[in-house]
Amino acid sequence: MVPSSLRKDDTLSVFRLPLFLALILAIAFGGGIWSTLVALNATVGFGAIKLGAWQAFPQAQTVDADPYAKAHRANAGRLLLGGAEGLRFTADVDESGERLNGNCTYAIIGKTPVARLWTLFASDRNDQPPSGNADLPLALNSRIILRERDGSFVVQVSSEAQAGNWLAVQPARSFRLTLTLLDTPTAGSSGLIDLSMPRVQKIGCGHA
Amino acid sequence: MLKLILAIITGLVGAALLHLVIILALPYFSDRDAYTKVVAQGEAYRFHVIGNRPDNKGLVKDDPFLDVAVCSFDLTERPVRLTTHNGVPFWSLATFDAASNETFSINDRTAAASGLDVIIANPIQATALRKTMPASLMQSILVETRQMQGYAVLRVMAPQASYKPAAAAFLKDATCTPVAWK
Repeated sequence: MVPSSLRKDDTLSVFRLPLFLALILAIAFGGGIWSTLVALNATVGFGAIKLGAWQAFPQAQTVDADPYAKAHRANAGRLLLGGAEGLRFTADVDESGERLNGNCTYAIIGKTPVARLWTLFASDRNDQPPSGNADLPLALNSRIILRERDGSFVVQVSSEAQAGNWLAVQPARSFRLTLTLLDTPTAGSSGLIDLSMPRVQKIGCGHA
Repeated sequence: MLKLILAIITGLVGAALLHLVIILALPYFSDRDAYTKVVAQGEAYRFHVIGNRPDNKGLVKDDPFLDVAVCSFDLTERPVRLTTHNGVPFWSLATFDAASNETFSINDRTAAASGLDVIIANPIQATALRKTMPASLMQSILVETRQMQGYAVLRVMAPQASYKPAAAAFLKDATCTPVAWK
């Protein structure tokens, strides 16, 4: 006579192996796919150059790019800038590391590294750039900007109109700044560390 | 309990392996990569201007001041010659292979004064061209690449609205044509 408790255990153990297998597969596939999506969205790859709030990926379009950069560019399918064309810097945060937000006013102060021309615009998180012919100044470039006597510049980034150089952004949304240096020797060199990008400083938030 | 922990660890190892496999394999399987989108723009050996908004092929120009045109080509049969005239504040060209690796790039200051004139050729074609260069191609920059399929991206800057017509004309006049090499 077999005790009833043992018999119950036996029927449970029949389900135990399939359950463990299901758990393993769920973690493997769920975790694998989720981590890949996160990695592809979070970063363009390794090998970023960080200058203050700005970062750039001078190797992203080359054959020397790391596997993450290659996967990202195959997935994003964007037309990247070649080495002789320029180098694109992006900033998601200000100097203090806080995320850029349309409710706040920022000042971009200083000089760019050596470049023949540059363009600056703010895009939403989906990287959708503004179209060039809007009524608001959604994008600036080195030809139309007002400069100080020493060649440096101050750009006010705000959802409300500002005196001087004003870059308009959408209120109440986080945004990304993109500064593209065209025909710049910095694209080809790794000595970029000595160079300085303009600072992205928060002036204030709200209507204060 | 021990079996449960073992199952979770096995699952995590599997997840890491899958992560690596996807990351490494994605460039070979992606149908959203730049080359696929450029080919989908239309016929090869023609510059197609990219619009402001994403078209149904998914390409979008990613700078409001830079107008962009793309051209896909295949060097298996014949090399391709890319030409434009000058007369805009800034232009630049980059060529890529089918895996979107840069093969060559140039801008208006690094090019000759007369504008863009580049021939992309595979090594056999390049050797033949160097031996007997036709007089009409003497001024061209000869670029050698082993990758047969590829695409060219031509950018032109219109820093102000008044430059737009010149930039549009620049892209319209740009050619991307196969050339005879033997």
